[in-house]
Amino acid sequence: MSLSVALAHRLPGLDLDIAFEAPPGVTTLFGRSGAGKTTVVNAVAGLLRPDRGRIVAEGEVLCDTESGIWLPPHRRRLGYVFQEGRLFPHLSVRQNLTYGRWFAPGRRDGDDFARILDLLGIEPLLTRRPAALSGGEKQRVAIGRALLSRPRLLLMDEPLAALDEARKAEILPYLERLRDEARVPILHVSHALAEVARLATTVVAIQDGRVIRTGPAAEVLADPEAVPALGVREAGAVLTGRLAAHHDDGLSEIALTAAPLFLPRIAASVGAQVRVRIAAQDVMLALEAPRSISALNILPATVIAVRQGQGPGVVVQLRSGEDVFLARVTRRSADAMNLGPGTPCFGIVKSVAVAQSDVGRGRQP
Amino acid sequence: MSRRLIRLACLLLALAPTLARADVTVFAAASLKTALDRIAADFTAAEGIDTTISFAGSSTLARQIEQGAPADVFLSANTAWMDELEEKGLIVAGTRTDLLGNSIVLAGHDPAPATPLSLPRDWATLDFGSDGRLAMAMVDSVPAGIYGKQALTSLGLWEQVQDRVAQADNVRAALALVSLGEAPFGIVYATDAKADPNVHLWATFPTDSHDPIVYPAAATRDTAEARAFLAFLNGPAARAVFEAAGFTLLAPPE
Amino acid sequence: MTPLTPQELDAIALSLKVAFWATLFSLPPGILAAHALARWQFPGRQLLNGLVHLPLILPPVVTGYLLLLTFGTRGPVGAFLQETFGLVFAFRWTGAALAAAIMAFPLMVRAIRLSIEAIDPKLEEAAGTLGASRPWVFATITLPMMLPGVIAGAILAFAKAMGEFGATITFVSNIPGQTQTLPSAIYALLQVPGGEAAALRLVLVSVVIAMAALLLSEWLSVRAARRVAGR
Repeated sequence: MSLSVALAHRLPGLDLDIAFEAPPGVTTLFGRSGAGKTTVVNAVAGLLRPDRGRIVAEGEVLCDTESGIWLPPHRRRLGYVFQEGRLFPHLSVRQNLTYGRWFAPGRRDGDDFARILDLLGIEPLLTRRPAALSGGEKQRVAIGRALLSRPRLLLMDEPLAALDEARKAEILPYLERLRDEARVPILHVSHALAEVARLATTVVAIQDGRVIRTGPAAEVLADPEAVPALGVREAGAVLTGRLAAHHDDGLSEIALTAAPLFLPRIAASVGAQVRVRIAAQDVMLALEAPRSISALNILPATVIAVRQGQGPGVVVQLRSGEDVFLARVTRRSADAMNLGPGTPCFGIVKSVAVAQSDVGRGRQP
Repeated sequence: MSRRLIRLACLLLALAPTLARADVTVFAAASLKTALDRIAADFTAAEGIDTTISFAGSSTLARQIEQGAPADVFLSANTAWMDELEEKGLIVAGTRTDLLGNSIVLAGHDPAPATPLSLPRDWATLDFGSDGRLAMAMVDSVPAGIYGKQALTSLGLWEQVQDRVAQADNVRAALALVSLGEAPFGIVYATDAKADPNVHLWATFPTDSHDPIVYPAAATRDTAEARAFLAFLNGPAARAVFEAAGFTLLAPPE
Repeated sequence: MTPLTPQELDAIALSLKVAFWATLFSLPPGILAAHALARWQFPGRQLLNGLVHLPLILPPVVTGYLLLLTFGTRGPVGAFLQETFGLVFAFRWTGAALAAAIMAFPLMVRAIRLSIEAIDPKLEEAAGTLGASRPWVFATITLPMMLPGVIAGAILAFAKAMGEFGATITFVSNIPGQTQTLPSAIYALLQVPGGEAAALRLVLVSVVIAMAALLLSEWLSVRAARRVAGR
């Protein structure tokens, strides 16, 4: 599948002019609130009619203002997971889930139903009413409902934004499974970089109604040029590796291409692929391999680029084996260490600096 | 809020003089409206006494008087309600007179034949169509309906027509049904038939076929103005107006 | 208290029949009008709103008279319906039902409209993205969710129809067994001296029916509201 979006729309306080292609996988529209992300998704869903634009999903033109083509939402076959779930309060969970199947072409057998119930872990909720569900449960049912309408594309507008941290942690694994197993491409909206790091295969960064950077997630997140757009405090690369071992002292070992990475126990089995987001500000740099230091992770690396910002900090892009990651240090340190492209050095990461929520399962993006 | 209150107070003050200057308050049956409005104007011009008239059904007015409404004079369209007030001692002794008489007629929507019909003989010639109605006021409760039912009964017609009767809540509504042609015929007062150009007089019911139709008048409060108004009703100016409207005058002229 | 006379029983039965059919037939247009007023943007929306409320503003007698002019056998609509469908309103119980329906219409529309306005349009949007076309969204989301308002509106209309007098008597007059409803019977009794006792009995019957309808509506509304809220 592919989704191709080009649209221009004027809203009070926002002049939207956006074009991007979404390849298979999870494409995340990333940007601050008010950047125009939801407007884009609504236009794709048919809930908003753009002033000008052309939207094509899997070869079918959903909207083309030039030729006057406009498919109403119910004929677009897109599943939409809203921020607030929007479950139908007068229907049971089961009725909510099967709602879209009424209208889906070629009704499926129970296999699909059982598979999605299992994927989202909502089987025990079937007889309940939405009012009796927790926020996380509601969102899982909403995702299930959208999937069961047999969409050719799943739209998710900040599906976790309304949830607290614990609920987010509860749902994220389900979304990862969805990405890896459901075979439905996803257009996802988020303003939380941690969420993007765990889910996205492609990132479309949006600022003030314009696309400022787009590309594979690992590439965009490890690009120092994208840091200002993503937020200095939030910036951080995503590393993918195989879970090599669980150690007795509570640490898990992830095999990266150049060195192992030790992190607090990860809930995955040995051999699984994991994605780890390492925030740039949690990485220290040293010119020589430090000894007698508490940090367990010392990654030999080479500087690729140094990007000077407005403030006292710089962002350093490094390569360790095949992995690319970012470190944020002061300009003074960078000058003292004489960092520049090609400088060999070591990246130091405290194990406990990596939060559980920054570790997810994942295939190589 | 306080500004509103002040406005309201001003409005009430502005109204108060008109209420205070109304020296005689008359409760009159609705069928007297056209005639009585003119007579009251003449009375005020002649005597310098302001009048306020409240028109409604006789029953409504009588009940209001029973509840202490501030009426000086009551003009009823039938004797029953005046009797009721008299029994309760609510009218001034010696002021009751039978003022006016009326008759009931058969009114039709279509123009009447050249020679008036004679009842009951010609009843069978009336063309009601397949399910045409005979419009009347309520036959057990509203005076015009009661008189009409009496007349039809004494003429031996009630049995055959009672299923045709459409009962309106007052005689004017019955008249409207004939006037619009919704009912081909109706039984109304002679005065009503005369007032509506879309209604034609087909026949007059014999006066002995029903109780006499009497409009009694009486003072309900013993004031000089009330007595003056009652006297004026029987004067030559008022009599001319009543007669022109189709009423018969029962009291001898003064 | 003496038992009710056959004529009084007729009036009660007729009133129930008239109110029932008036309510039933005004429900579809009532829901449509409420939906249009709550959700659609179209020119003449305020005009429709005014028109719907007209029976509430006009004296009932005027409404009855207008009905007579329009739906009477000589009225344009009345004549058309009679010729085309053999449907006659004048002096029939059907006319009483029409008058009651028109008089109760604004109350019904108001109640239903409020319940529609309480529904989050985002839910309807969500149903659309799941593949439901507009009529389906209405049937599966909007209609079930506005049910408490529909019930309340219907019962309110029923109670109003039971008590309607002015427009009814002007339009179809008072024919025992045909158009003599409970209020007509009460009115007739009040016109004769000494009719109060008999009238009072019928008033009691009215009050009992109205209270029963009201309690029923409360009960149904609460149940439906609970269902809609998913508890």
